[in-house]
Amino acid sequence: MKKLKYISSFLALAMVLLIACDTDETQTVTNFDNLVMEDNFDINGAPDSNIWDYNIGTGSNGWGNNELQYYTDRSENVIVEDGVLKIIARQESYMGSGYTSARLLTSGKFEQTYGRFEARIQLPWGQGIWPAFWLLGEDAGGTQSWPQIGEIDIMENRGQEPTLINGTVHGPEYSGGESITKSYELENDRFDTGFHIFGVEWGENYINFYVDDVLYNQIKPTDVTGDWVFNHPFYIIINVAVGGGYVGSPNDATVFPQEMLVDYVRVYSAD
Amino acid sequence: MKMKTYINSKITMLFVLVLATVVSCERDISEEASEVGFTNDPEIFIDGFSSGLEYYPFGGSDNDAFTVDTEDTYSGSASMRFDVPNYGDSDGSYAGAIFRDDNGGRDLSGYDALTFWAKSSQAGTINEIGFGQDFDENKFLVTLSGLNLATNWKKYIIAIPDASKLTQESGLFWYAEGPENNNGYTFWIDELQFEKLGTIAQYRPSIFGGEDIVVNTFSGVDLPITSMQNTVNLSTGADQTVTIAPGYFNFTSSDTSVATVSELGVVSVIGAGTAVVSATSNDVDALGSLTITSEGQFTAAPIPTQNPENVISIFSDAYTSEPVDYYNGYWAPYQTTLGQNDINVNGDEIIKYSELNFVGIQFSEDVPTIDVSQMTHFHVDIQVQGAVEAGDFLTVKLQDIGVDDDFGGENDTAGEITLTNTTLSDGNWVSIDVPISEFTGLTSRANLAQVVFVSDATITDIYVDNIYFYEISSEPTTAAPTPTIDEANVISVFSDAYTNVAGSELNPNWGQNTVVTEESIAGNNTLKYTDLNYQGLQLGSTQDVSGMTYLHLDYYTVNSSALNAYLISDGPVEAAKALAAPTSGWVTLDIPLADFSPVDLANIIQLKFDGNGDVYLDNIYFYN
Repeated sequence: MKKLKYISSFLALAMVLLIACDTDETQTVTNFDNLVMEDNFDINGAPDSNIWDYNIGTGSNGWGNNELQYYTDRSENVIVEDGVLKIIARQESYMGSGYTSARLLTSGKFEQTYGRFEARIQLPWGQGIWPAFWLLGEDAGGTQSWPQIGEIDIMENRGQEPTLINGTVHGPEYSGGESITKSYELENDRFDTGFHIFGVEWGENYINFYVDDVLYNQIKPTDVTGDWVFNHPFYIIINVAVGGGYVGSPNDATVFPQEMLVDYVRVYSAD
Repeated sequence: MKMKTYINSKITMLFVLVLATVVSCERDISEEASEVGFTNDPEIFIDGFSSGLEYYPFGGSDNDAFTVDTEDTYSGSASMRFDVPNYGDSDGSYAGAIFRDDNGGRDLSGYDALTFWAKSSQAGTINEIGFGQDFDENKFLVTLSGLNLATNWKKYIIAIPDASKLTQESGLFWYAEGPENNNGYTFWIDELQFEKLGTIAQYRPSIFGGEDIVVNTFSGVDLPITSMQNTVNLSTGADQTVTIAPGYFNFTSSDTSVATVSELGVVSVIGAGTAVVSATSNDVDALGSLTITSEGQFTAAPIPTQNPENVISIFSDAYTSEPVDYYNGYWAPYQTTLGQNDINVNGDEIIKYSELNFVGIQFSEDVPTIDVSQMTHFHVDIQVQGAVEAGDFLTVKLQDIGVDDDFGGENDTAGEITLTNTTLSDGNWVSIDVPISEFTGLTSRANLAQVVFVSDATITDIYVDNIYFYEISSEPTTAAPTPTIDEANVISVFSDAYTNVAGSELNPNWGQNTVVTEESIAGNNTLKYTDLNYQGLQLGSTQDVSGMTYLHLDYYTVNSSALNAYLISDGPVEAAKALAAPTSGWVTLDIPLADFSPVDLANIIQLKFDGNGDVYLDNIYFYN
């Protein structure tokens, strides 16, 4: 059984994004250039089970958000082909739900404290489509619960806002509607017509959010309205939700199926 | 002239480039200049007319609707002002124009939208607005319908369906707008230009409004592709749908031996078989398709000959037909019949019924019933598809619903005729002409409501055409056709065209009931038998017609259902020939004399007719 790829070789990856972003003196800069995990989705079929697990079903109350989809691990909803991971949201009656989709997570398979987490993704689109690439803190053997465990939303998008994504953190006293968030808008482009890199650089007392070569936000302990809960291992989640309070329901104009295409997921640690 | 000289002297490409500028300034593009491409100037009206822009109002519109406004602008020194006239304005009933580049067109392939800022004096909805209209081919016309304007300046976007097509576009902008609730109003447009926004995506072209259309048809039929549209998703997340010209599509037929498609989106059916017509635009498969099942060559039903003045038509392209509720009521629960007026062969509509057990054409619910009480005859053309065997039948029923104009009650009457395998024919049109009186039981026909076909599935596939009622006057209104045979070859008994056998007795007393008169029909002397039972005609002298070939006669009867003609030779020896009756007009017959065997053709003494009804006769003669 293949273990996670812990890549120790030094990669001469210049931190293009850091070079490109402005030199705001308040930013804390750490170079995370030690690639410790990557999935380039080059092998057709189901995603690599050494890395990815699935959430199945509708969770509790539509995964806490009144989401409308039923998550499956069927190839109709999640498959690796054409060099990308495809998460496919469909409009179909399935197990009592009107939509199906998939939610992949690395819980118990890959978790890490701090680092650079990024993915290259082309987003789906349309009213009521809610794609996300995010991190959730591990729950200390079930002794902690959300939002105490912490949540870092590297990328969330409302399908009806094809030029916008949001980067957000949730924690105690700053979750849901009170979360700490900032949106990023593409100029003269959209997120559903090509691939874009979404990432965070997460260090001991900061989280930097970037899209492609633009660092657009930094959140530090002084920015949150509660305890800083980002000093323990987090795991990765990638999903496409349908409906729910954040995005609203699909309408007649929403085209199905919708595909989120993930070219790669990479995680780096500090030197 | 100077310019021509330069071109002819094989100057360098660089020089051509220079020339392009010179040429466009002179508004006289040479072929050489066009090779270097057209200007990609995106501006239409920023603070004035851009280079080459001209204004052409639509015919019937208010020519003065458009002015340049230097006071109310979104940005800069001027905007475009459009004053939509009030309802009934004598200067024009609406505002509408094209704004065209008269320098030969622009290369817009680097842009993805027409954009502008606009506002209106009151909330208004512009009926049609877009680009690509050039008063020429309108090859790349784009129309956005129903653009809502507000009273504050807002930016509007009209997406280009496929910018790669627009390498030489003259139609930069056009609009058409009428009064709102009969009231004119004013709207302004500013900063009108093409832009590369980069935020227009999810191009979804469609034909036939995105529907998959299925048609049964024949070779020779042309079918236009309709409802060509493109839908995009804008940066706001909203979809925008515009109507677009065929020029934005590439059309494909899955079988070009069955159907071909022109660049203009006209499908031509050319052979038998099945073909699917589909389209792409901007490298995206268009939603919607046309599946053609062609039966191959089509033979139209005989063209009706009745004078339209004497016809009430239910279904015919030869006449103005009465409106109907439907050509197939899909009567639940027992009807299996499918189809109605589905076939249109270049304007000739034909009803096709399949899986026939029974089916009705109705005209009573949403349209008036039809009064055919003045009509005398019913006509229908029927072509059966599939073998017609003994026991197969097709009943045609006429339903009248009486003076209450409603089904039920005491006054509904109906009658029917039944056609059998001896009449109907596989693959051939059969024309049925019957007196309405043969629809026994149809005692009233002033409120006719239905024509019903019943086969009980003995016959399942039929084409139907030319369903109409017509009136044949009981008396002919025209003379029998004038004979054309040379008198030298004729022995005439009764005709104005020839010298008749002298001394013939037209009404010998053989004890008959028939009343014989001679009538002038359109100036032509005509023999009339009223209430025929039998009737003789005694020749003035015995005639030797053994040198003749035919007995010719013209006859006309609207009410006879049995009619025979006899030739009698000395003895007497007689033989009969049955004549089809009733007729729908004059019938001209040439009966081979051999058919009257064993009558002695050298000694003909008499003619005789028997049967019933009232019969007109003319041009009774022998000829060879």
